[in-house]
Parts: sequence; C-alpha cells; structure tokens
Amino acid sequence: MSLTRRDFLVGSVAVAAGTSVTAPFFWPKHHALHPMARSRVAILKAERYASDLEQLLAAGLREFRVNVRDKRVVLKPNLVDYLPGDAINTHPMLVRAAVEVFRRMGARSVTVAEGPGHQRDTQLVLAESRYQSFLREDRIRFVDLNRDELVRTRLRASYTGMKELWLPRAVLEADFLVSMPKIKTHHWSGVTLSMKNMFGIVPGARYGWPKNILHWKGITESILDLCATVPIHFVIADGIVAMEGNGPLNGTPRSLNEVVLADDPVAADATSARLMGFEPARIAHVREGARFLGNAGPDHIDQVGEMPSTSSVPFRVVPEFQHLHAR
Amino acid sequence: MSMAKDLSCLQSELLRRQLPCGGWAALVSSAQAALEPTCYSLLAMNTNTGPTIQTALRFLLRAQSSNGSWPVFLGDDPDGSWVTSLVTIALRDDIDAIPARLNGFHWLLDASGKEASWLGRWKFRTTDRHVRFDPDRYGWPWIPDTVSWVVPTAFAILALRQLPCTCGGFEQIPGRIEGGIAMLLDRACPTGGWNAGNGVVYGEPVAPHPDDTAIALLALCHHGEDPAVQKARKYLEDVAPSLRSPWSLAWTILALAAHQRPVAALRAALAAFPELVQTEDTSTLALACLALDHERSLASFGVDR
Repeated sequence: MSLTRRDFLVGSVAVAAGTSVTAPFFWPKHHALHPMARSRVAILKAERYASDLEQLLAAGLREFRVNVRDKRVVLKPNLVDYLPGDAINTHPMLVRAAVEVFRRMGARSVTVAEGPGHQRDTQLVLAESRYQSFLREDRIRFVDLNRDELVRTRLRASYTGMKELWLPRAVLEADFLVSMPKIKTHHWSGVTLSMKNMFGIVPGARYGWPKNILHWKGITESILDLCATVPIHFVIADGIVAMEGNGPLNGTPRSLNEVVLADDPVAADATSARLMGFEPARIAHVREGARFLGNAGPDHIDQVGEMPSTSSVPFRVVPEFQHLHAR
Repeated sequence: MSMAKDLSCLQSELLRRQLPCGGWAALVSSAQAALEPTCYSLLAMNTNTGPTIQTALRFLLRAQSSNGSWPVFLGDDPDGSWVTSLVTIALRDDIDAIPARLNGFHWLLDASGKEASWLGRWKFRTTDRHVRFDPDRYGWPWIPDTVSWVVPTAFAILALRQLPCTCGGFEQIPGRIEGGIAMLLDRACPTGGWNAGNGVVYGEPVAPHPDDTAIALLALCHHGEDPAVQKARKYLEDVAPSLRSPWSLAWTILALAAHQRPVAALRAALAAFPELVQTEDTSTLALACLALDHERSLASFGVDR
C-alpha cells in the first residue's frame, strides 16, 4: 500500500485535530507540586463546648511549629445558615478560644471572616449562631466575605476550567489562614471539612447565594482549584458535635467529641474522614488533593494526641455516598 | 428621637459614605464601589441631596457594560449580573438614563436560568432530581450560566414591571414576568416563605429566610390571594417581631407594607436597633432608610398599594 502526499496530509491533520481535542484531558490540572513531606495532625478530646477549650487549643497548638508572631491571622469558620442547634455552624466558643490563643501567640491581628453560602443576611447568621455577642465583647474584627473588596485572582489549578475568580481581599492578604470547619456529611460532596469550607471565601455578592457557579463547575473541581489558589495554613475542625445524614443543613447532630488540628488540610480531612468511619481515598477531593496539596496516607502523617480510630458506628450518609464507608 | 430624625441621621451617614466616584462600597472598610449598595443608597436619598444624586446617577451610567447589563462592582467583568434589575429600578426617575435603562431591560429579557434550555430541563428531569421543582418554570440567575434563584427573579420581575409599555422589542415581557411568578410560586417552602432557591432538597423541606421571603413577596404584591403568598405572609408576620438583624427587618417592613399589613411597631423596632448608624454594611444602612420611609420606597420599587 502506497501513501500519497494527500493521504499523508489528511492523516496529519486528523492526528493534530485529535490531539488538540484529547490532550487537555491528559494535561496536569495542577502546577504547585510541593506538598509537605510529612504532615502533623492532633486529635483532641473535648466532651463539650466550654471555657476550657482555650486551654485545650493552646496545648494542642504547642504540638505544632506554629509561628504567628506579627502575622495577620484570619479564621474562617463554617457559617452556613442561622438554623438553631450546635451541629450546623462551627461553634462560637471554639472560634472565640482560637482568637484568644492566636492573640496570645503574638499575632498582629486576628480576624474572623466568612461568607455564608445560603443566607444573604450575614448579620442574622452571626446573631442567631451566637457569634455577634462575643465578637463585640472581645472586639474581634469580622469580615463578611460575601461583600468584601474583591481582587481578580488567577487560579493555580485548572480542575474547573475557570481561569480566575474574584476573591476577597481579607483572605488574600492573610499571612496565616486557618480553616475552621464543622465536621459534617454533605449531600453533594460526601463530606464538608476544611477544604470544602473554602467555598465560603467565594463572594456571594459576585457569584450569588448559594455560589451556584461552583456547583456547575463541579464541587470536587472547585474545592481543588480554591485550595490550590488560597493555601490553608492550619486547620481547627469542630467535631465536638458533628453532623451525619443529610448534611450540611438537614442532617442529624452526632457527638464525636473531638477537635482536629492539622498543619495540612488534606491530612486534616483524611483524618476527620477516618473518624467519621469513611475511607479517605474514596472522597474525590481528598484523594486528588493528596496528589499535590498535602498528605492523606497515615504513613505521611505524624499523629499526636488521640489515635484516629475509625468511628465504631460510621456516620450515616445519603445513598449516593454509601461507598465512602470504610467497611 | 422621632422617626424623621432617625431617618435623617441614617441618611447623613449614607451621604458621608459616598465615594468620590459617586458610588458606595459594600462595606465601610472598602473603597471598591459596588452597585447594590449604590442602588439602595440612591433610592434612600431624599430630594434635598441633589448633587449626591447626580453624581450617583452619573456613576451608574458610567458603570454600564456594553451589552446593556451592569456589573456587581466597578472593575468587574462585563458579562452581566443580577444587579442589572436593581440599577434599572434606581434609574427610574432620570430622563437621561432612559436609553441605558432600555438596554438594561433588553439584557434582562435575554437573561434566564439554565432551566430555560432543553438540556437544563432534561438534566433536572433525569439525572439531577434531588431538588424538588418544576424545571419548566424558570426565572433569572445571579450570574449567566447558572440556574434561577428566588432573589434575582424577584428583582427582575420588579424591574420589568416598571417598563411602561411592552412594544418595540419588549413584547416578551408579560410572558417572562408570568414565568418568573410561576417559578416563585413553585419554589416556595412547604412551611411558607422562600429559601434561596428551592423548598425541598433530598426529600427534606428547607427553612425559609425572612429576607428572601420578603423580596419574593414584594414581587408578588399583586398575587395576595395565592395560597403560597398567604402562607409566606403569615410566616413573615410571625417571624418579624423576633428578627435580630436590620437587613431582614427592613425587607420585612417593605414587604408587609406592600401587602397592606401594619408595620408601625416594626419600624419603631428598626429605628431602635442598637448602633444601626454604625453598621458596617452600607446596603443595610440604606435599606433601613428605605424601610423607615416605606411609602416613598415602595413607589420606587414600582409597588402600588
């Protein structure tokens, strides 16, 4: 069989066209391949929300080489809605304790910042979730991330295909960003932990309530792009009263009696997932995040405090996420 | 202090917050002019503040994108956003703004939630059925390429209703308004009122939000006999006395007044809110002005009582 010049040209064009269509699927979706060699996680036992949380956090933080002296610390709790109960939002007593501890560690400023995902009335969320009183009493600055000044920010990963997002200045200018999630199941993403908590930095005034564009671009993909772009320096996860079932709003409170501290969000989420009775590798954003954002495997995590024994009774999830269960 | 003095004090603070460009920022700590607080502030100003109004109007006209829409803030991408509805309302009394408003109305007519496409409807009928709603009934999204939500749909209805005629390319307006109203009624929470977008998710009823409910009720002021509207009104009346935020309370006053409900006690409660004048959020401050002066404000929103 002879190959004419015309066949060759047609074939070359076909190969080039095919490559241009398929190549993007194989290109790496992240660039910053510098995860920590080892991560550190502390699981702290806490039976209730009480004034001794401050001592607990101070002791826990001593297990890490955290230096916040003269740094602008931003605490990002998870405030979703103003519904009553302790299982939906990061508890105010834990946030208050964290503010105090970081102030005592010499932080230049400690700001609490959040952009609730469902509720436009941030002040109502703060009042009903008992944040407003302690913010006022302790003279703590709060920034509504749904309405903060915005900066066009180039994304440092390309899972969603979005090139950039408008993100709040208060978060971008933080020297030390602490993600303070509530440990919960989530009906769209399986779990909502320190990485998913970053949805709250996406401004509602620009992208709407909820931040629907992130759902359309893919929840897992959006989590990865956000966490690659805005690094989480530390995690304090509220698992004293957690949530199982149809989270993040309509689930059932579940007493886990743990606070998880970590210097790596992937390690924090992998450990929290184990505490919930889930296999971290089955959670898409944790599995993918372990490729470039942090460590999920126990071999790369130095455990201090309690050992991460998986929950004797795994957290209930909606049917689509039954596969997350470790057993 | 009388209500008039309270109002005057809040308006003075609003004036103080106006940026040199003519707009207002969302937060006191920000210098980035944003369209939502600018619209509320402009509506909240009384007629004695002529130069303020003129610079604000000029700011809004300058901020319009070439496609007829308005961005969320100055410097934002020009794709268009939900604040387009608010700007067309805020510009209602400015004769010079008529061409800009008409362009804005055209953009609004072209904008719709993803459910408007057959692919979107197919998705919600087949693979994505955890949220209970009728995909045939759609309204407006917050930003392009997303689905319809309660607040942008309610604002779009209020805006499009202000167009005096439906000729000259605006023939679709009655149909779009009707469609938006059908969407709002479809997505009401089972217990009354509205959440951000849907009433039932994963088989569980979601709780209503006072502000979302109030804004939807403003758009549905001509549908007071509808059972969903009556239920929402009841929810709002029940929750109003215990509201602990001026934003939700201000919207609630406007909505209940639009539905001919007494609001004197609620206005007094709003005026007595501690440190209202120092509130960080400028939209809240402006809305408080609008609620304290609700008769004039409802006319601005095109709500005839």
